[in-house]
Amino acid sequence: MNALLSGLETLGGLALFIGSTLRAALRPRLDAFELWRILHRVGVRSLPIVIITAVFAGAIAALQVGTYVVKFRAYEVVGWGFGYAVFRELGPLLIGLMFSGRVGANHTAELGTMRVTEQIDALRALAIDPIHYLILPRVLSMIVMMTLLNAVGDLFALLGGMATAWGLIHVDPWVFWNSFIEYVKLGDFLNGMIKANAFGAAIGLLSCGFGMQVTGGAPGVGRAVNASVMASAVAIFFLDWLITAVLR
Amino acid sequence: MIRFIDVYKRFGAREILKGVSLDVDEGQILFIIGKSGAGKSVLIKHLVGLLRPDAGRIIFEGQDITRFKERDFYPLRKRCGMVFQHSTLFDSMTLIENVALPIRKHQGLSQRESLAQAAGYLEAVGMEQMASARVTDIGDGLRKRVAIARALTLSPRYMIFDEPTTALDPLSALRIDRLIRQLSDERGVTSIVISHDLRSVFSVADRVVMLYQGRVQLDGAPEDFRRSVDPIIHQFVNGLPDGPMEL
Repeated sequence: MNALLSGLETLGGLALFIGSTLRAALRPRLDAFELWRILHRVGVRSLPIVIITAVFAGAIAALQVGTYVVKFRAYEVVGWGFGYAVFRELGPLLIGLMFSGRVGANHTAELGTMRVTEQIDALRALAIDPIHYLILPRVLSMIVMMTLLNAVGDLFALLGGMATAWGLIHVDPWVFWNSFIEYVKLGDFLNGMIKANAFGAAIGLLSCGFGMQVTGGAPGVGRAVNASVMASAVAIFFLDWLITAVLR
Repeated sequence: MIRFIDVYKRFGAREILKGVSLDVDEGQILFIIGKSGAGKSVLIKHLVGLLRPDAGRIIFEGQDITRFKERDFYPLRKRCGMVFQHSTLFDSMTLIENVALPIRKHQGLSQRESLAQAAGYLEAVGMEQMASARVTDIGDGLRKRVAIARALTLSPRYMIFDEPTTALDPLSALRIDRLIRQLSDERGVTSIVISHDLRSVFSVADRVVMLYQGRVQLDGAPEDFRRSVDPIIHQFVNGLPDGPMEL
């Protein structure tokens, strides 16, 4: 019973937090200095892990597609199979999960620590609204950077896929490229970008929401980080399903 | 003038404030003392809207702020500098960045201009040499001084200090006491100080209020407090193990 009440309290708190954030977003008073700092931290510092994830995602997709391409000698569809899988699905999904683990968890821990050490109250006491100063820059940075990083990830996934197809299943890069250019449409790329955008918003709101609700000292911060990563993963899969269903 | 009128506050089953009434006069240094858990910090957090009363009223400069919304408190908070018990400096920033933040936010200055102004506030509390240090690199006493500098950037008419000298060495505590006195004498700042430190109480306070079990036990001058024959106050002042207060 207590667990149920606690769960409902967390959900209610999250709903109120998301409501306040969206209301604040209608009249944002963004701190340019803080926004720039967070954009740099979220974007630039995530680049290495995104590139690594994307290269391997591309390589795995190329291997999976390549097995059947070689079997049926259907070399003209290797780029299409790869592009369709990576641009629409694997890229945003894997980058989203990595992003949630790296950036989302970091934001939950940082905001949670600020909350339990009364730094959030100190901001309010200094007449600085924490939603405008701390939350909006973080959520906005997550949306912008998740979208941009997905585009960068697509490029590196393509390189990883071509290299793997060439090295392991001996598909000529030009064949791969021509098939990719011929069959993968702008819509496939945009589909992935829409997903990345939605994942960024979900990770941003959930990670900040869980951070701002932390109670119970250091163990509370740990629980919040755990809950934030789990909730973000569920949100990513749900949004993936929803967007796929709507845009199919 | 600030007035707390019959303020009640409860957290779950624990009733912390049970009808506290208290006036704070202009320019005064008021010390609120009492055992840990007496509700001192809870009471002052009501003044800047960090907590809301369950019952009772709070009047700030003639305005009833009891039912204020969060956004209504922002102008009031600019007039009330608050120094928290644990300083609550932002540990992702350097000391000077901590002080520059409210300047940048409220005066519309660039980061560079805010930092230049912040240096002056750090100098006022004798911390200019450590401006670029990280919060985690300095001790409690120095943090308290930076927190005071940060609160002063608001040019407040009221200052709230929550246990400013707790856990400090005697010299650091003396320095903080002098700063509080200086603010009152030189700038006419009204100070509300939560403290357990009886040395500070008797050297700095104009008036002392003791809270006990969620109510005001005594309200008077430091001398009234010292001479009181009330067994609770006598036990508290003398730190006696035996008496009506449980250890």
